[in-house]
Amino acid sequence: MINSILRFGLIFILLVLLQVLLFNNIQFSGYVNPYIYIMFILLLPVEIPSWLLLILSFGVGMIIDFYSGTPGMHSSASVLAGFVRPFVLRFISPRDGYEPGANPSMFIYGFRWFLVYTLIIVLVHHTALFYIEVFRFADFFRTLLRAMLSSLFTIVFVLIFEFYRKGR
Amino acid sequence: MRNLLNFLERYNNLIIFLILEGIAVYLLGTRNYYHNTRAVNGVRWFTYGIEEKINNTRSYLSLHEINENLASENTALRNSINRLVRNNTSVFFSVSDTIYQQQYQYTTARLTNNSVNRQKNFFIINKGAKHGLEKDMAIIADGGVAGVIVGCSENFSVAMSVLNLDFRLSARIKSNGYFGSLSWNGRDYRKATLSDIPQHVSVSVGDTIETTGYSAVFPEGVTVGTIIDFEKPGSDFYNITVLLETDYRKLHFVDVVANNKRKELIELEKQIQ
Repeated sequence: MINSILRFGLIFILLVLLQVLLFNNIQFSGYVNPYIYIMFILLLPVEIPSWLLLILSFGVGMIIDFYSGTPGMHSSASVLAGFVRPFVLRFISPRDGYEPGANPSMFIYGFRWFLVYTLIIVLVHHTALFYIEVFRFADFFRTLLRAMLSSLFTIVFVLIFEFYRKGR
Repeated sequence: MRNLLNFLERYNNLIIFLILEGIAVYLLGTRNYYHNTRAVNGVRWFTYGIEEKINNTRSYLSLHEINENLASENTALRNSINRLVRNNTSVFFSVSDTIYQQQYQYTTARLTNNSVNRQKNFFIINKGAKHGLEKDMAIIADGGVAGVIVGCSENFSVAMSVLNLDFRLSARIKSNGYFGSLSWNGRDYRKATLSDIPQHVSVSVGDTIETTGYSAVFPEGVTVGTIIDFEKPGSDFYNITVLLETDYRKLHFVDVVANNKRKELIELEKQIQ
């Protein structure tokens, strides 16, 4: 228990630092802004109580908001991501269900499972985030394109991190 | 009561979700957040150390370029001083200074936080109310327009960058004086759009765009950028793409411009309305 709190604390700090120091400074033609901190929400244990998941999602969004000076933007998007996560997990659950105490990991449930899981949540999060950022429906398709491209990059980074995390 | 408890138990996730989302949307909805100095102070306290470090590194890496800019600016200033001095000695020059009031005052500041990759970009500079800065003062960098202060705390100020969908600037074509409204389209951080220039005006690529000074924020004649493209859509106005003079990714030092006659001007404008 203490061990896993410590572990997720470290992941949390690492992801926030990566996001704030590196990914917030990426400028790639104005269309690609990966938000990899969402991975924190992805990695939390399957059996985490929903209320805790929601509060943690809110927390991580809040901290990113603090550092990027965008009150409420990341918080609202990541709370939404935290809210849909249990439904996604139920929707794509393996035939014999999840083992008790399992973490959503590529190395337990397979690459395809992890990809679908990441894809849905990242898409929900990024779409919400980019529309909240612009806060208007003018340029609807351009915002959609930004959300899609950024999601693509985020997913690639999440997969790389996942490989690296278990590769050690 | 029992039903209520059952209801709460059944939908507790939804309720927590709605509460948290409500808080987030509330924060999002307070659009004048940046004008709230307490909030700015809070954020500063939270992020000051880390941003300061990032910025130090960044400005160290681009010292060479900053030096070059400063040197060229010095030369330009020296040239203009020479011109002024010659003017003053060659013609009669009044010693009394009552009419010859300085309208604009400049002060330099350093950026502590900047962004170009959002749709609504702001930057933060390291001078605030303590140094006499106020809301609605103009910010100029490398001889080009950079932004407008939207909120000040004791030691810092938040400025809305030109790269913000909400930013509007009254700008004109230098060669013929026709003015229009400049805004950012949210795509490329080097390009902005100048609208409201009627189609009978002759426009050519390479024309300089400068500020008009109508808004009492920016002084007259500050360079905004150059025209790199224009097209005639169905309406009566051009669609002009302007390459911005300032490179927002390389913003380190900026000049804050205070208009000493702004109050007077605004009061006068109020009288006519």
